[in-house]
Formats: sequence, structure tokens, C-alpha cells
Amino acid sequence: MNVSDERIAAMLREAGEDITAKKDFGPLVERSLADGADAFFTAGSPLGTMYVVFGPRGVKYATPHPASEEDFVRHYGETFGRLVVPSEDDAMSEKISAIFEGEKAEVAVDLSDKTPFQRRVMEVVSRIPRGEVRPYGWVAEEAGAPRASRAVGSVMAKNPVPLIVPCHRVIRNDGKTGNYGFDPERKVRLLEREGVPVEEIAKAPYVATPTTGIVCHATCRNARRIKRENRRPFRSMSAAVDAGFRPCKVCRPVAAA
Amino acid sequence: MKLSTLPACYTNMETMPKADPRKTDSLAERLADGDPLAPRDLVERHHAELYRYAFAMLRDVHASEDAVHDAFVKALEALGRYSSERVRGMSLRAWLYRITLNVVRNRVKKNREVAVEEVPVVVEKEGGGERFMDALDALGGLTEKQRVALALRYMLDLPYAEISDATGWNENTVKTHVRRGLKNMRVRMNIEEETK
Repeated sequence: MNVSDERIAAMLREAGEDITAKKDFGPLVERSLADGADAFFTAGSPLGTMYVVFGPRGVKYATPHPASEEDFVRHYGETFGRLVVPSEDDAMSEKISAIFEGEKAEVAVDLSDKTPFQRRVMEVVSRIPRGEVRPYGWVAEEAGAPRASRAVGSVMAKNPVPLIVPCHRVIRNDGKTGNYGFDPERKVRLLEREGVPVEEIAKAPYVATPTTGIVCHATCRNARRIKRENRRPFRSMSAAVDAGFRPCKVCRPVAAA
Repeated sequence: MKLSTLPACYTNMETMPKADPRKTDSLAERLADGDPLAPRDLVERHHAELYRYAFAMLRDVHASEDAVHDAFVKALEALGRYSSERVRGMSLRAWLYRITLNVVRNRVKKNREVAVEEVPVVVEKEGGGERFMDALDALGGLTEKQRVALALRYMLDLPYAEISDATGWNENTVKTHVRRGLKNMRVRMNIEEETK
């Protein structure tokens, strides 16, 4: 290398250093990570420690199963084909913790990979309040597909965000609690924790009162106000309708398809 | 627990070999093993050098920032899709350089479609601006291969073997591009050929 080449090489070296000198890459690093990977945190829940993942469009996944963070990161990668990094967003983890503790909090759920029907089902279920339950048939009706009880069941079975979209509050059309992941007992315990009279509902999921002539889901807030002596339990909506009761306009019970 | 009761490896931290910041092999292992901190380490470790590379090619702050961002998003998305066996065997640094060059090329192509005239150079002039831009302007007049070779060799200080990995050219080809690039720079910067 001759002298002039060395001068040019030195100028290029210096130019290279000048380009990155005094430049703060911090915000650029965060932007790349936020767009290229999802974020996760852990939060205590009634199902044990939950790993929760969110991306730019909202919460994507929640699971209580992994044994370690490494297991979780690998499992997430294999299932979703995305990298996942520890979250820097405390606001999101506080909201989710509040939901797990039974408080009300609004959080966006990323349903972008769901079909329109699946999306409507998830939205209907997310509006079922704590302490109340609704049958699969009702969810189907509310989602605009009255005969799709079974399809609702399979959407619930694949719910990626348990507790956040409360699929445990959806029960069988006959009032029995039904399945929940690998552990139906868990569903019973979750509901009892929320104050749902599980055994009573298994016998009679609907309650009517002759004072108004209205029939409700047993956990509807209107049904809970009915005086003991006026309570008329029903095993099915068709029986209540046959007895001359009309459906409540708040909880909108329907005869199972 | 008293310090003296700790095993020796805990008390002799300062004698442990320092991790080589350029070494990415272990990072590939960590990504494959599901280390949750590995993606952040990857981005933090290589952000500055990829930005330097992009800027050498684009000479524009925002275009270079966006190019590096796009390169990292592509890289992270690909790493999310790949099996852990595949990730384990990757040379991440060279791979990142290749992705960055692809993104840069696409941007240059797009810019050409937008404007017939040359894209104006926007630079934040901070300290030592003049001479550094002279060198970069001259660099901008070379062929893409010569520009890549000189940027990687001198601005990023990569050895020929790594330039070869980052470009896919064999080492002799790299050396040829560097030599011709220097000659062209000399002409463009009006530097007379001097010999010792």
C-alpha cells in the first residue's frame, strides 16, 4: 500500500468513526425490537404464574404451563414463529395483573389471525362479567350464528388468552361447567372463586319470577335480585317459555339450538 | 455466606476472559436455546456497525436509520421462523451485513424510481464534517462493489475473511475491489500517487 492509499484509508476510518460518534442508538434499538419481536412478562393469576405475550396490536397469548423462561421462549417460537423478549412496558403488565386479580381493566387483544366469526365470538365472551356465566348456545346467538354452539366450543378450546378473554365463563347449554383445557376441575374452582353458584346452575341454568314474568340466566344481575320465595328455576329455556315467561332484555337468554 | 466460602470461580471474576464483543457464535447458541435476553443483545451489539455500513452506502441519516431498522426487523422475523438447529449454526454478523446491504439496495432502487436526479445528500454536520463528507462523497461515486469493499474494509475495519463472509465474494475478489476502489478514490479526491 502506498502513502496516498494509506491517507485515503485513514480518512475512511475517520469517517466511519464520525458517523457513529455521539449517536444515541437506544431509541433505535427499542424500535427495532418492538417491530421485530413480541414482548412478554409474567404475572400471578388464579391459574398460577402466567406468561403473557403482547405485540403492537395487543395481547396475543397467555399460558401458565412453561417450566422456565427458556422453555417458554422456545415454545412461543415453535407455535407463533416469532421471537419474544422481556417487556419494558409496565403499564401493560399492571393492566393484566389487575384483570387476573378480578378487577375491571380494558386491554386490546390481538385477534388479527382469527376469522371474522372467531373474532365475534371472542368479543362476545370478553363482555361476560365476572361472577356470571353464559352457555355456548347463547354465545353463538350473540355472535350472529345461532346454530354454531359447537363452533363456539372449539373457539373457546383454542382461546390463546385464557382469563383475559374469560372462556371459563362459557358453560354447557345444560348448565354443567364443561371442559377447560386439560383440567375441567380448574374451571369449577375459577368460577367458584368469582362467586358463581356452580352446583345450583348445573341443576337449573335459568331463573324466572312471576312478579315480572321474565326469565333470566341464573347469574344475570337481574336474576340475583329476585326474592327467594319468587324464584322459579328452569332446566331449559324452552320449558320457561312454555310456562309463559319472556326472556330478559339484559341477559337475552335463548333456547339452545 | 462469607466470601471466602464461595467457590473460586466466583471470587476470581476479574481474571475471567472478557467476552469478545465481535463474537456472535455464542449468541446464535443463546438464541437457539431460547435465552430471552439474546434478541436484545443481538440488536444492541450490531446496531452501530450496521448503521455505519448503511450510512456509508446511503449518506443520509434518516434513510440509514430506517434501513437498519428494516434490516433488524427482517432478521428478527426470520430468526423467529427458523428452527433452533438452523439458528445454532448461523454466522449472525455476516448474515446481518448481507440483509442490510439488501435493504440498502432496495432503498436506492426505490429512490431512483422516485427522482430522476440524484437524491440530495442530507447530513447532520457535527464536528469534523467537511473532510468526512469529502471522503464519503468520493466513496459515493464508486461502483457498488468497490464502495462495499472499502466501507467494510476501512470504515468497519473488518478483516478480509469476514468481508468475504459478509459479501459472498472470495477473498481475492475482495482484495481486487479494495485496490480498485482506492485507486478510484485517489482520482476523485485529486490525491497524487505518492510512493515512499
